Order: sequence, then C-alpha cells, then structure tokens
Amino acid sequence: MEQIVLTGLLMVILFVLLGSGLWVALSLLGVGLVGMVFFTTAPAGQVLATTAWGSSNSWALAALPLFIWIGEILFRSRLSEDMFAGLAPWLSHIPGRLLHVNILGCGVFAAVSGSSAATAATIGRMSLPELEKRGYDPAMSISTLAGSGTLGFLIPPSIILIVYGVATEESIARLFVAGVLPGAMLVVLFMGYVIVWSLLNPDKIPPGDIDMPLRERLYHSRRLIPVLLLITGVIGSIYTGIASPTDAAAVGVLLAFVLSWFSGTLNRETFIAGIMGATRTSCMIAFILAGAAFLTVAMGFTGIPRLLAQWIGTLELSPYMLLGALTIFFIVLGCFLDGISVVVLTTSVILPMVEQAGIDRIWFGIYLVLVVEMSQITPPVGFNLFVIQGLTGKNILYVAKAAIPFFFLLLLAVGLIVAFPRIATYLPSRMGG
Amino acid sequence: MRQALDTLYRVSGALAAVFLAAICTIVLLQVGANLIDALADLVLGEPIGLVIPSYAEFAGFFLAASSFLALAYTMRHGAHIRVSLLIQHLHGGPRRAVELWCSAAGAGLAGYFAWFTVGLVGESIEFGDLSTGMVPVALWIPQSAMALGLIVLAIALADEFVSILAGRTPSYLAGDGPPGDE
Repeated sequence: MEQIVLTGLLMVILFVLLGSGLWVALSLLGVGLVGMVFFTTAPAGQVLATTAWGSSNSWALAALPLFIWIGEILFRSRLSEDMFAGLAPWLSHIPGRLLHVNILGCGVFAAVSGSSAATAATIGRMSLPELEKRGYDPAMSISTLAGSGTLGFLIPPSIILIVYGVATEESIARLFVAGVLPGAMLVVLFMGYVIVWSLLNPDKIPPGDIDMPLRERLYHSRRLIPVLLLITGVIGSIYTGIASPTDAAAVGVLLAFVLSWFSGTLNRETFIAGIMGATRTSCMIAFILAGAAFLTVAMGFTGIPRLLAQWIGTLELSPYMLLGALTIFFIVLGCFLDGISVVVLTTSVILPMVEQAGIDRIWFGIYLVLVVEMSQITPPVGFNLFVIQGLTGKNILYVAKAAIPFFFLLLLAVGLIVAFPRIATYLPSRMGG
Repeated sequence: MRQALDTLYRVSGALAAVFLAAICTIVLLQVGANLIDALADLVLGEPIGLVIPSYAEFAGFFLAASSFLALAYTMRHGAHIRVSLLIQHLHGGPRRAVELWCSAAGAGLAGYFAWFTVGLVGESIEFGDLSTGMVPVALWIPQSAMALGLIVLAIALADEFVSILAGRTPSYLAGDGPPGDE
C-alpha cells in the first residue's frame, strides 16, 4: 500500500518538475533524490556521484558523440544538394516521382547520422524548395519529409538505440543490426503509401523531367558513391563484427571530413561550428543519461519497478495486451516528452515489467524506437515538427496535420513487428562476432 | 567579474570539444594499429601486436570529461532539453518567477551533485583507486574533470539566477547563446 502511494507521489513530483520547465536531466535527478532521501536509508549523494561516474565513462557510449559529429559535419557539407541531384533522375518513373527523394534521401542520411531531427533538417533544406519550385503539393512534400525524418532513429547508426543499449546494458552492435530490416520495411511502407496516394491524386503530381539515359543518370549520381561507401563500411563492419560501433563511428568521422573536404565545405568556421554543435548535443544526452542512471538505481532502492512487474504479473495479461497498453501509454507520453526522455524513463521503471512478460530486450528496443518515432511527429511536442516549422515557416499544426498518415504508417509498422517479431530479431541472431 | 565568468564557461566548453576530438583520435589510432597489424599478418605471416594501451578506457574517460565540462556551455546555449509546453504561455512576472525557480533549483541540484562528486574524488585519492586496464590510471584524475564541470554548471546556474533577478533575459533563452560564445 505504502509503495503505491509512493509511486503516485513520485510520478506527481516528476511531472511537476518537468512541467515547471526544470531541465529534463535535473528533473530525473531531483525525483530520484526525493525517492531516495525520504523513502530509503541509502546514502543518496554518494550513490548519485558513483552512479553518474559509472554511467558516463563508458566505451560503448563513446560512439554517441562521434555519430552526432558525423551528422554535424555532413549537415554543413554539400550532401543535401548531392542527394537531390543524385536521387532525382532515378525516381521519375515511379508514381509520386520526386516525393520519393524525401523518403530515400532521409533513408540514406539516416544511415550515416543517428538523429531524426538532423535527418529531416538536412534533406528538407534542399528537397522542400526544389519540390515547391516544380509544383508538387506542399502538404504532401511536408508530410513525406516529416514522416521519413523519423527514419533517423531506426536505421543504424541511431542515437536512440545507443541510449537504449547503454541504459539496458544491451549490445549496441546487435541493436543496430536489429534496426536494419524494420528500417527498410518502413522505407517500403512509406514509398508504397506515396505510390498509392499518387495514383489516387494524379492531378497533384507535376509531370516528370525529361528522361535521362542511364549513363547520364549514373553521372548525376556519382557524388552519392562516397556516401554509399561510408554507409556500407560502417554497417558492414559492425554486422560482421570487424569493428565495434565506436570504432566504426570514429572512422565515419574521418570519412565525413574527407567528404566535406572534397566538396569544398571544410574550413575553420564549419569545423568549429560542427564540433561545438556535437559537443552540445552529446553533452545534453549524456547528462540525461547520467540523471536516468541515478533514477534507475534510486527506483531500485525504492522497489517500485519490481512491484510494478509483480502487479503486471498478477493481471496475467497476454504480451499482446501488455504491448497494446504500453503503446497507448507511450503515444500519450510522447506527446509531452522528447524521445530520449521517454526511453530513459522506460528503462528506469518499465523494463523489469517487460522482462517479466517474457519479451526479448533487443526486440523491445526496436519496438520502443518505432513508438518514439511517432512521438516525433505528434503535437504539441514533436521535434520533427519544430524542425520542419523552422524550414517552411508553416504553422506547427499544419505540419502535424500533414504528418498524420505517417503516424498511422508507423503504427502499422509497430503492428507488423508485433505480429512478425523475426523482422527485428532475425539479423541479430545471424550476426557474427 | 562578468568577463571572468564568461571566459570560464567558454574555456570549459572549448576543453569539452578538445576531449571530444580526443575520443575520435584515440579510437582512430587504435583502428590504424589494427589495420597495420592485419597487413603485417598478411605480409609477414604474423601480427606485430600493435595496440594503443587501454584505449577503450581512455575513450570512456575522455567522454566523461567532454560531457561534464560542456554542461555550463550547453546550458547557456539553451541546448539542454526542457519541457516548455506549459511555461511558454507565461509572460512577464509569472514567467520570471518560473525562470527564477528553474535556475535556483538547478543551481541547488548541480551544487549538491558537485559536492558529492568532489567527495568521490577525495575518496579516490584517499584509497588510491586505480583503473583496471593495462595502464592503471589514478581514478581521481578523470573524476576531477567531472567534478569541475559540475562546479562550473552550478556557478553558471547561480549566475543565471542573479541576472534574472536583475531583470535580464536568461542566456539560455537568448536564441543562439550569448554573443562571443563560439
């Protein structure tokens, strides 16, 4: 009984702290402290220092700033121009034509960068003005960009998967590999939707450009070759076990510099802007992880996660019902919190319950990422919405409304991996190393 | 005073960036060593056994140093995530009260965190704690970077509190951060 009151109380404190605008990392830390100081006899301050130190000096986590850095470097390079010029000639025969540039461009950029906001920003910077100039339906251009931007989370390397892997002490390499097929599945779902939509609305798709012969198409795509090599190198070396994600990320940084050097965009100014941007973003995430690591330990002391797990156990829910309930819970939570906060709160409190239900941790990581992707495009708090609002100047509600079909496509993808869990678990089970 | 504080945040942010570059460098050196080894294996029939000692551990220490030293700099740029859903509707006095609460609570929590991290550093010195890798490192050295970063964050938040009290806009709300902060 006492613990139920305690759980409720701590939840209220957490939401008050978060709602009052206190930084997320400090809110997690604060609620952990309240739980420990008032309801246990453990030395809270010492536990805080030790846990935070233990969680932040980590080899696996060192991949995080490096993957963020790659995104920062490429964002400042000519990659978005090259992507448009390289992809466009291949897509003129598919219904929906250049709308697919958004999807494939985001898919390719997602495979070199780990952030969904960076993906949407880099691709959208070039594709939105180009699509508008050619007379594509603006709502559909925005919609495909908002939806495809979320691919940044699922297609490895993924910042969210690193956060999940570090918080749950699961292999980041396996998580990355697990994300490959579901990521490809999303690309297919998105493209399928655009094809169907275009067949139903032929008047909203402008006529294609003049057809290019194969040689010319290849010539226009030549600048994409280094990016494709970078992607194959990074993912291939992780899959085969030659390199750990951190090794692959460091090589990726080097290659990103080479790329931006050859495209003539590497100078003192972009270098400093890139590394300072990466320093800020990775500091922000590492601080949240430190706060969450402490919250996890503090929750362990209070016994709440164990209690929740037991309680769920007594309900005898089937895994499907549990996942259904969790999905609704995450969608609601995702309306108010950013993806990283949702993931760290989940691993602090909900993971024991999920394991109790016999759900695979790698699979759950992929499921969680898909659900968090939805939260990126739901108002009032959805980072991709903010990014696209910044790019287009359109009202956030307009962007959110345009993104609704992709919300349901993501929901469909969740349904598919629940029905066919092998989509996520097949590749990691076949992994070398 | 103002100038000294701004320099403190800027220097600690720049150090954080240097540590980030150091992670990349040490990992690249190890990858290079692996490549040379693989080549040697191919050509000479046996690897030379090139290795950067404790490189994984060093990468972890550099990461902790980078993450914590950047705290204040990141805060002043408004890059730490917060939920602004409710507070964005407040203006004038109420909004100032909220920002005063955030900076005060933040300074308190950061100070508490810093205090016990300094304690952790003290213990590591007292017990002579060493890291477990090939190159034993006295743990208080990397831990000091963490303590230092938290102290700077506590100072920066107290600084924000004072400047909100004086009627200025907190630097974390001033768009792309304070001028001259790059």
